[in-house]
Formats: sequence, C-alpha cells, structure tokens
Amino acid sequence: MKQNKHFNVTVRVWRQAGPGEPGKMVSYKVGDISPDMSFLEMLDVLNDDLIKKGEEPIAVESDCREGICGCCGLVINGDVHGPDEHSTVCQLHMRRFKDGDVITVEPWRSKSFPAIKDLVVDRSALDRIMQAGGFVSANAGAAPDANSVPVDRDRAEAAMDAAACIGCGACVAACPNGAAMLFTGAKISQLALLPQGAPERAARALNMVQAMDKEGFGNCTNEYECEAVCPKEIKVSNIARMNREFLLANLFSKR
Amino acid sequence: MDTTFLKRLITTSLGRKSLMAVTGLLLGAFMLIHLGENLLLLKGETAYNGWVEFLLSNPITPLLELGLLLLFLVHITAGVWVRVEDFLNAPRGYEARRWQGGRTIGSATMLYTAAAILVYLVYHMLTFRFVDHSMGFYQMVTGAFRSPVFTSIYVAGSAALALHLSHGMQSAFQTLGVSHPKYTPLIKAGGWLVALAMLGFALISLYFLFNMDLKAAEAGFQVIIIR
Amino acid sequence: MKLDAHIPEGPLERKWDSHKFNMKLVNPSNRRKYDILVVGSGLAGASAAATLGELGYNVKVFMLQDSPRRAHSIAAQGGINAAKNYPGDGDSVWRLFYDTVKGGDFRAREANVYRLAQISSQIIDHCAAIGVPFAREYGGLLSNRSFGGAQLSRTFYARGQTGQQLLLGAYSALMRQVGAGTVTVLPRREMVDVVVKNGRARGITVRNLVTGDMEAYSGHAVLLCTGGYTNVFYLSTNAASCNVSAAWAAYKRGAGFANPCFTQIHPTCIPRSGEHQSKLTLMSESLRNDGRVWVPKNKGDHRKPSGIPEEERDYYLERRYPAFGNLVPRDIASRAAKTVVDAGYGVGPTGHAVYLDFRDAIKRKGQEAVKEAYGNLFDMYYQITDEDGYKVPMRIYPAPHYAMGGLWVDYNLMTTVPGLFALGEANFSDHGANRLGASALMQGLADGFFIAPATVAGYLGAGKFEPVTTLDKEFADSAKQVQERINRLLAVKGEKTPSEFHRQLGNVMWNDVGMARSESSLKKALKRIPEIREEFWKNIKVSGGDKDFNQTLEKAMKVADFLEFGELLVRDALERKESCGGHFREESCTPEGEAKRDDANFSHVSVWEYQGEGREAALNREPLAFENVKIAERSYK
Repeated sequence: MKQNKHFNVTVRVWRQAGPGEPGKMVSYKVGDISPDMSFLEMLDVLNDDLIKKGEEPIAVESDCREGICGCCGLVINGDVHGPDEHSTVCQLHMRRFKDGDVITVEPWRSKSFPAIKDLVVDRSALDRIMQAGGFVSANAGAAPDANSVPVDRDRAEAAMDAAACIGCGACVAACPNGAAMLFTGAKISQLALLPQGAPERAARALNMVQAMDKEGFGNCTNEYECEAVCPKEIKVSNIARMNREFLLANLFSKR
Repeated sequence: MDTTFLKRLITTSLGRKSLMAVTGLLLGAFMLIHLGENLLLLKGETAYNGWVEFLLSNPITPLLELGLLLLFLVHITAGVWVRVEDFLNAPRGYEARRWQGGRTIGSATMLYTAAAILVYLVYHMLTFRFVDHSMGFYQMVTGAFRSPVFTSIYVAGSAALALHLSHGMQSAFQTLGVSHPKYTPLIKAGGWLVALAMLGFALISLYFLFNMDLKAAEAGFQVIIIR
Repeated sequence: MKLDAHIPEGPLERKWDSHKFNMKLVNPSNRRKYDILVVGSGLAGASAAATLGELGYNVKVFMLQDSPRRAHSIAAQGGINAAKNYPGDGDSVWRLFYDTVKGGDFRAREANVYRLAQISSQIIDHCAAIGVPFAREYGGLLSNRSFGGAQLSRTFYARGQTGQQLLLGAYSALMRQVGAGTVTVLPRREMVDVVVKNGRARGITVRNLVTGDMEAYSGHAVLLCTGGYTNVFYLSTNAASCNVSAAWAAYKRGAGFANPCFTQIHPTCIPRSGEHQSKLTLMSESLRNDGRVWVPKNKGDHRKPSGIPEEERDYYLERRYPAFGNLVPRDIASRAAKTVVDAGYGVGPTGHAVYLDFRDAIKRKGQEAVKEAYGNLFDMYYQITDEDGYKVPMRIYPAPHYAMGGLWVDYNLMTTVPGLFALGEANFSDHGANRLGASALMQGLADGFFIAPATVAGYLGAGKFEPVTTLDKEFADSAKQVQERINRLLAVKGEKTPSEFHRQLGNVMWNDVGMARSESSLKKALKRIPEIREEFWKNIKVSGGDKDFNQTLEKAMKVADFLEFGELLVRDALERKESCGGHFREESCTPEGEAKRDDANFSHVSVWEYQGEGREAALNREPLAFENVKIAERSYK
C-alpha cells in the first residue's frame, strides 16, 4: 500500500571534525519527510536546516545519485548501503521508513579507508590496487581490428558481470576482516576472462594481490558478506578465480 | 635458486590462506580415515586391535604421525596468523552492524571451534596417545567411552569439529580457487556431509557410554565397515 | 577576439592525415620535460592523460572526486557509435559524418565532425584491446544495436552501462600510467583558475577540497576536460558535482565560450516528485520503441489511467507525427510533452508528466518479452516511484541532459588562449545544435585518446617556452583573486543556502530558457538572473570555514558561477533568433509549430568574449561553411 503522508524521523549520525579527530553519534530530528524523497535528499533537507541554524552540515559523499558512480556509501541501521538488497544508498527512498523511526547513519569503517570528515572516508587504496595491475598494457593507437579477436560470449558476459563493480567499497565495509577481495577479485576476473587480458595474467594476479595486502586490507574468511551487500551483485566466484589465478601464477609462471 | 614463490606462500594473504586450506583439507581427509578406524570399535576387539597392531608394526607410521603433526602445526600457525591480521584489520567502531546474509554460525565461530578443537586435541593426546597401552587399545578406548565425563568432552570435541568443518570444507575449496557453477553446489553439499560425519565420533562414544546393544544399529554399521 | 579554426587545407577525407603530418613532433626523450595539466578525469580527461602518459609526457590529473573512476561519464547508458559497418547494413565514415552534421541541425564544423567519424573505429579497436567487455554475438564478434532513430546499427554497447565500462577502461589505462610514474593523480581538488602568462596558459590554481588550501601547478599545456554545464537548470540528469566553474574560469581568462544556448533535453526521465528533488533520473529512450506516449483528452482528468477509456486518450505523438510516431527525435518528443503539459493535460500529482504506456506492448508480446527488453528500467522506475510500470503506465517528463555548447576550440581543440585545450563535453565542437544518441562517448574518447595527444604535441613542438615556476607573480595573483572571492562568500553570512539559490536559478532557467524560448521569456530571465545574483551576494549563508573540507562552500562557489553563466546562456539564446536542434525559439517556427532554422542569418558559431566584471560579453562569430553536405530541413512528419 502506498503511503503518502509526510512524517518525521530522528537520524543519529556519526560526526567527526577531521582525520584523527574523535567522533561521536549526534541526533537530529528531521520533519516533513515525503515518502518519495530519497534518503540522501532527506540528508540534504537536514543539511540545509543545519546551515540556516549556523551549524556545520554533515559531510556526506554522493554524486550521480543513480547508483553507478560509487561515491555514496553509508551504513544505515547496521546495513551496508541500507536495507534494500543489492542497491546503493542513493537509491534508497524514505518510504522504507516510518514515522518516529530512529535511523543510525555511519560511514564505512575500515582501517584502509581513513576518515576525512563525518561520513566521508578516503578510498584511494582501491586506486592503488588498480595501479598494480588492473589494466591491459596496450597503448592507444596500437590495437588490431576489434573483431580480429573473437571472445566466447559466455566468457564476455562473465567478464561483464565482474566489470560491473562500481568501486564503492561496500565489500570492504561489510567484511568482518575489512578485506578488499571482492573488489580485487572482480578486476582480476574481468581481465582473466578476456583474451585481451591473457598475456599479463600471471603478473597481474601476483602484483594486485600483493598491492592489496600492502594497503592493509584483511584476509578472506569466505563468509561472503561482501556478496550479500554488493550493489552490483558481484559474485564470490570472482574471489575464487583470483585465488586460482594467484596460486597458479605463483607456482607455475616464471615470476 | 629463486625461492620467491615459496616466500609468497608465507608473505601474501592468499599464500597463507592456501596453506591453511591445503592442510585443512588433508586434516579433513585424515579425520574421515580416523572415523573409519573408530567404526572398527563397533566390529569388536579383534578387528580394532588388529588394525592398531598393523599400524604400530608398520615402519611408515611414525613418518605419517610426523606428517600429521606438521599438518596441524602449519594449519594452526597459518590460521592464527590470518586471524591475528583479520583482528587487526577488522572494521572497528560500528555502533550498529548487522550481518546481511553471508555469515553462518560455522563461519562466525571458526576461531572458537578451532580453539576448542585444539584444547580437545591436547586432551585426546594425553588420554590416548601418551598413556600406558598395556591393557589393550580396544579396552582402553571403550573404557574411556564408558566414562560420562570423558564422553561429554568427546562429544563436545566432535561437535566443535563438525561446526568447524561445516564452514571449513567449502571454504578450503574456495580458497584454492575451485569454483564452478556446476560443481560448487556439490562441493558445498559434500562439505556439509563431511561435517555431519564428524558427529559419527560422538555417536560411537555414546554407543559405548550407554552400552547400547542395538542390533539394528550394529547391523547398519556392519554394512559400512570394511570387512 | 580572433577566431581561426585552423582547419587544414585539402579534401575532407585527407585533412586529419595531412594535419598530423604537418604538425611538429616532440622527440621521445624530450617529452618528459613537458608538464601537462589535465583537469577532469572523465572519458576525455582520463583517456587524454593516459595517452599522454604513454607517450612519455609528465602528466598531472586533477579531479573533484576521490577517484578518477567517479566522473559522470560513468552514468552514460546507451552506447558508443562507430562507423565499423560490422553488421553490413551500409554504414561508412561518410554516413556517420553526415548523420552527425544533420543531427546537429547544421550547426557543427564539417572538418571536426568528419575527423570524429574517421576516428570512431579506432576507439572501438582500442577499447576492446584494453579489456572493455563489449556485448558480443554467439560467434564471439562484437554486437551492434540501433540507437536514437538511426536507420542502421552502429552502436556498440556493454549492457545498459556503456559509459561505465568505457570510463573504467580509460581509468585502467590511467592507473597503468600512474603505476608507471608518468601520471600523477590529484583527487579532491577543484580547479579554480587558469594561470596565463605572456598570453599562454601556463598553469592552474586549484583548491584542495580536504584542507582548503590553494595550490599552484605550472605546466606547458592545460587540458580542460571538465564536462558540461547542464546543472545550470538545477534539476538535470547530471551528477551533483557537474558544474561550469572550470570552463567559466577559463572564459574569464580569455577563452571564448561558444553556443552556450545549445542544451539538450532528454524526453524520457522520471518526473520530479516534489520540492526536495535533487536530480532527475534518465531512463533509456529505447523505451519509446514499445511504449506509447499519451495524456487524457480532457484537461484536469484525475482518474486513474486504467479508468480512462481508449477514446479519451490522446496519443499526441502518433497524432502529430504519424510517420515517426513515438520515435521522433529527442528535441521534438520533449517539446511535444511540454506543449501538452503547458496546455493543462499533464498527469500525476504535479501535473508535470505524461504517460508512457506499455499496456499494448504487453498485450502484443507478453510481459516476459517486455521484461527481457526493459526489465532493468522497470526496476529502476519502481525503486524511485514505487509504481509498477507493468501494471500502470509510467510517468515521464523531459529533463536537461547534455550541453552541446562549451568552450570554443579550433581544429586542434585549443581554445582562444594558447596552450589551453578543451576536450569532451567541455568544448563545443562536434554536435552542433543537437547531439545524436551514443555520440557523446565517441567524442570524449576521440578527443582524449587520439586528437589531443597529437595536437598537444604539435603545440609543444612548435614553440619555445620561457621558464615558469609557481613562484611567479601570476600564480600568486590568481590564488589571491580566488581567495578574495571565497572570503567574500564567507563574509556575507546571510540567510539562504547555496541549494536554495541554485533551485531559484534553475526555476528561471527551466521555465523561461528551457525547452521553448521566446523573446519575452528570455528578456524576463535576463532581468531575473541578475536579481538573484545580487541577492546571492547579499544573502548567501555558508557555514564553516575555508580551510576545511567544506561542501557548502564548494556548492556556493559553483552556484556563484552558474549565476553568471546563466545570464550568458540567456543572452546567447536571445541573440539566436532561429530555432535549431535543442534551441527552440517560439518566434521561429513553421505554421504547424515545428522548429524553423534561419541559415541566412545564423549559420555560425556564436563565441562570447569576456569583457571584465560587470560588463556585457562581446559576441564574435565563426561562420560555418558547408562544402560537403547539402543543407536540408529536418522533418519527421
């Protein structure tokens, strides 16, 4: 049944002035919420109120607001990316809540994602994993005709499944060990599945895994919380493929 | 000689995990053999003691024992290392964080079941391995099973093992990169079967505790036991 | 302002090749001595930075977000055009060139568009080589689909997320260069000024968004790849951070701004639901292949759509355009929706929507077939509106989507400031007055992967550079000017938030300068915008300080620029008294109400030149010559 009445909630938000500063949960009342509002629009309303009161608005990151850029990421009432399954925070709407709800809002909390301010964290560690091997070394202008290398359609589709990752970091935030295995596994898988990625397979797996370790991400205990929260439904079979790529590269490549 | 690849087995997260997985799988296989041995208890004293005599007289056995010890040591060391790292890297400070469907009781309690198994293992060694065997192995084991205290501990140990393997078996395959849409469901089911089989240890001890003379059950076991 | 497009001599087909031959080169061992500053990390920025890095230049890339992968190119859904003719349905470079010039309503430069069509195939080759998982046929070859009313299949795609996959491809090439040490990525930095010394762009001033510090970077060339300005309408399909500020700073330093009034409105977006709305979500226009657009025949008919009988429904697109029906081009579909809504036939709670009905398609093909083709769009619609598009008609309304206008560039993609280049949506070059579907991705990557790397080298190789350091006076002056503006913003301490001003500006832009423009509406806007701007500088409230991560300040700075730029857009729209492409002047239409171009008076690019604060911009014109295509009228009747 569609609800149309406007309602009020209390949000409890993590406030932290800057990196290394102590933080705490602060409660705010937000009134006159339309069920059609997105969760982030509700925070916009709250922030405009705070600005008018002369208080600092809550720092929170979002950009495209259509679930593809990977900027937004919050833990809402204990759920990574909120209560909707396989969805980003920006796609969450207030009709999921009801009058009088108290909503807890926290940032990604991972050792490898240092806090910047309030709900904003630094996810550049993921970029550094990519720098270690998340690419095909082909310079612009050197490529043969695109159709000169046919690709098995099933493999192309599987590569696309893995490539759908938006780099939001939800897998890290949800992992009991703060691991970035799903992120790294997805990129290694995408390029391992495509013939274009084949020449660098061994080096890629070895280098990306070691870069991931260097960033201080945790180990995988195969509990699959990452898969459960991933907004793009990336499968843990990609982690298995990464494991396989790594072990084979370590044992049988010349590196 | 380039030993980088050996170093990587120890210095990388996936290397350590693979050591843990390989040793875990081998230990799982050992546990299945061990269960088979214990089933001989149901067949009777001659069968059981015969098997033990065969083992003791075999020159390879000490080597196997050493290998087993090594498996345990590597599994435990890798496991502890991985867990300490995980502890250090774990997200901290969530006021509310709810598991969203991946975690199971087995996976969430791996560390605790591991500790329980280790404690039990030491107890097991102290009660069966490093004791006077002069009364005969069958008598020693079944005698112990008739003690409620011993069997309680034994049942608890088996339960911890079952819970540990309920996550550990499929996890080891995943860690070693064995994953396929066709076979992964079978592997997961197989992992559960192995885990459930570990309860067989408990059932055998309970059988002796209550001195059950259930012909039907025995007949059932007779079928299983390799003659 | 001297506007020399530097179009190479010779026949159209040979221009780019001969230009590449005639341009100066930079010796491979000298390249690392050149510093190139790339602003923006979308398709154009990431691909340009990666390629310049591959060539050996010393490159720095700046972006607002925390990672290059967040740029808004990522949100493009449909696909990327290329004249590969893989399906064998008669495509060619010439046809893609012609379609693009015609689609742009004959307001683009022939030579640039031809080069774009030539390069299109190379883009696909390169992207496939770097691991972009394009859709494939069962035989393993690349798959194509038709798009945007084209009569053939030339669009390559990766599900409904082609922009994402192409951007991630360019991003991975960029990450490779970062790893190799040729490119440095500087995230969370906003370019606030271009530093010009002795008439050449020699650096930029950026604000570090985490610390609030002003940072100076010097270089031999500056590439602006900063996207489009459609957020001047407040509500658009663009991401929240899309802005005009970098281009506007360049404009104030002497770069001409071309055709700002050419903006594209996309017809199939989810309508806004209330005042709180922060963005509009686009749904692929492929929906119009099977959905029928209608409104009730009676004004203010508030019955449920299912309760409105067939004979009381007005399928107005099918009625007005019997030949193309629901498949008329974007601009025409958008304007038709506005016409019926303005006349009071709109539907939904706000009345600002029309129905897109799949009832007949479901009846004809079955729900499963409809689901297979558009399932993800129905899901998206449900998530946002809580309505099931299979059961009740979807509500749609047009929304601002893309900016064809932008910084004026010559054939080398260089602005009127030597050393300052503009790539991708930030420049004006290739789409004329209307962009065809699946052409934005093509242009961004053509500029970044292939054109700029060649022309930037031509610029660097052609001249001597005096030594410049960030200690030079020009850098200090620039930082000081920006800081003063920030101080002014913080000092106002008024009552209204940046968002409120943005919304206010957006209302004026959308109502008076949106899908249809008239002399009176434009004059009204021209009066209103300076009023809002004046109020802004008296009544803006920015909380927090400037030496901090301060999103309110960032927003206020962007809105301040939009309030200036909006006026220029209106002025341009007022000056262009014809209708063409996305620019519809109510005075310039046929008796049936269709757009009417005026080639005699407006076959030119309007290039606006900054004259200093508080002074009206000067208009320059670059005449457009069509030597290879025959100018024709667009008709979809």
